[in-house]
Amino acid sequence: MALWWPVLLLALSLAILIGPALTEGTLQLANPDRTRAAGVQAAFDALPDDALVLVALDADLGTYPEIRPAVRAALDELLSAGASLAFVSVSVEGRAIGVAEQARLRAAGAGEEPLDLGFVTGVEAGLVLLVGDALPAGASGAIADAVAEEGGGLAAFDMMLLVGGSDVGPRTWVEQVGTRLPEVPMVAIAPTFAEPELAPYLRTGQLVALLATVRDDAAFVESVVGPEAGPTSTGGPPSAAAMLLGMLVAVVVLGRALVQALPRLRRSTPRPAAEDDEA
Amino acid sequence: MSGFFDEGLAGVVATWIAALLTIGVWAYLVGERRFFRLAQHLLAGLATGYLTVLAVREVLIPRLIEPLSADPAGQLLLWPALALVLAMAGARWLPRPVVAVPAAILVAGIAAFALGGAVVGTLLPQMAGAMLLPGPASTLLNGLVGLVITALVLVAFLHGVPRGRLMAGAAGTGRWLLLGGIGGWLGFLLVSRLALLVDRLQFLLGDWLGIAR
Repeated sequence: MALWWPVLLLALSLAILIGPALTEGTLQLANPDRTRAAGVQAAFDALPDDALVLVALDADLGTYPEIRPAVRAALDELLSAGASLAFVSVSVEGRAIGVAEQARLRAAGAGEEPLDLGFVTGVEAGLVLLVGDALPAGASGAIADAVAEEGGGLAAFDMMLLVGGSDVGPRTWVEQVGTRLPEVPMVAIAPTFAEPELAPYLRTGQLVALLATVRDDAAFVESVVGPEAGPTSTGGPPSAAAMLLGMLVAVVVLGRALVQALPRLRRSTPRPAAEDDEA
Repeated sequence: MSGFFDEGLAGVVATWIAALLTIGVWAYLVGERRFFRLAQHLLAGLATGYLTVLAVREVLIPRLIEPLSADPAGQLLLWPALALVLAMAGARWLPRPVVAVPAAILVAGIAAFALGGAVVGTLLPQMAGAMLLPGPASTLLNGLVGLVITALVLVAFLHGVPRGRLMAGAAGTGRWLLLGGIGGWLGFLLVSRLALLVDRLQFLLGDWLGIAR
């Protein structure tokens, strides 16, 4: 057996034993960036009383754990401010996560029961359909009535909270819905890999606020649940031990991959660009 | 904590199943493939079942069957749409000109929505933002650097065009810049995946073992 496995196990064991003692369970991201978290807070503060907020949940199971604390903190913040939430999904995995989050909110008894606008097929075409007609047949309740009074489309909402994933993300919402309803502010929460794609929309104002890195998420969660809060079911930073273990595993796996790749890299010599072009 | 599981017996059972499946998938790292394969089959089966339920409960029944059964004469668009769907489903046995109609509508519809959205929602606002938005000198410098990088990468994609020494150098530089961009994006992707790993460890240590809540 290769040497790296015993080394990994030893490192993990040491991390479990020593890590929490060293960090006293308060290991945090060293430098959370509060600029974008403040932007989200400002967007929430600008909402009117009894605001209607659409939660477009199109996250995917592979990346949702990264943004889950920030999403839950945002939902908690909106509900505590008296906002009414409506959930909709145009992606299959987003629908599963949306149903689970609504069940969690109902079980917690937090705020007014959210309105479920369901799953809409067709992605881009579905989004265009939602602009004019978002209410599914048989939708009832105070939130449904409020949306119906405003015409039944997405224009009834005071804000859209876009939760993106690797399949459908805030970009699609901006392109299809933002161009048709530019007066409705859009706030996005997306995984880290979507940051380069979404940052330009923040600059042009098509998104009024964006959380798209672990640092942004950590800063926002801290601003909502407080710096001393531990991992909770409603959202909070991960425990010190989990972060230490994750970092160690990643470093060991990456180091092993690098060690294995080095001999191959030494053997292969890149072709000169000019030679390649002539070919 | 994921917060998805109840406190009761059902939650305990779900937590144990999730924990064992997580460990089963990780067993692949030490060469144990049976548990990994079992988890793969379980995922494929559950995903198929979920998709079927979703299609039937949230699409076919509320958007097709119920409207057609409630008011068959009033659904002027649903009947031809249903005919087109059936033509696609029976593509294997129908003549090509018949199948071409729904296929063309499908492709044209997707292209129109996606392309229209990309131009109106991304290309034009981003071009306007890059060229028209006032800002400090650093913003202007950023824009210029972006413009140069974009131009060099585009030159790298010019294939089959006669090139001089300068263009070949620009194309080579563009290619390396492209590789750098892909590397940077992979770095962002790695951070996302690392967060996923931390979440799974948090689940095992906190929700399952209860030693790191």
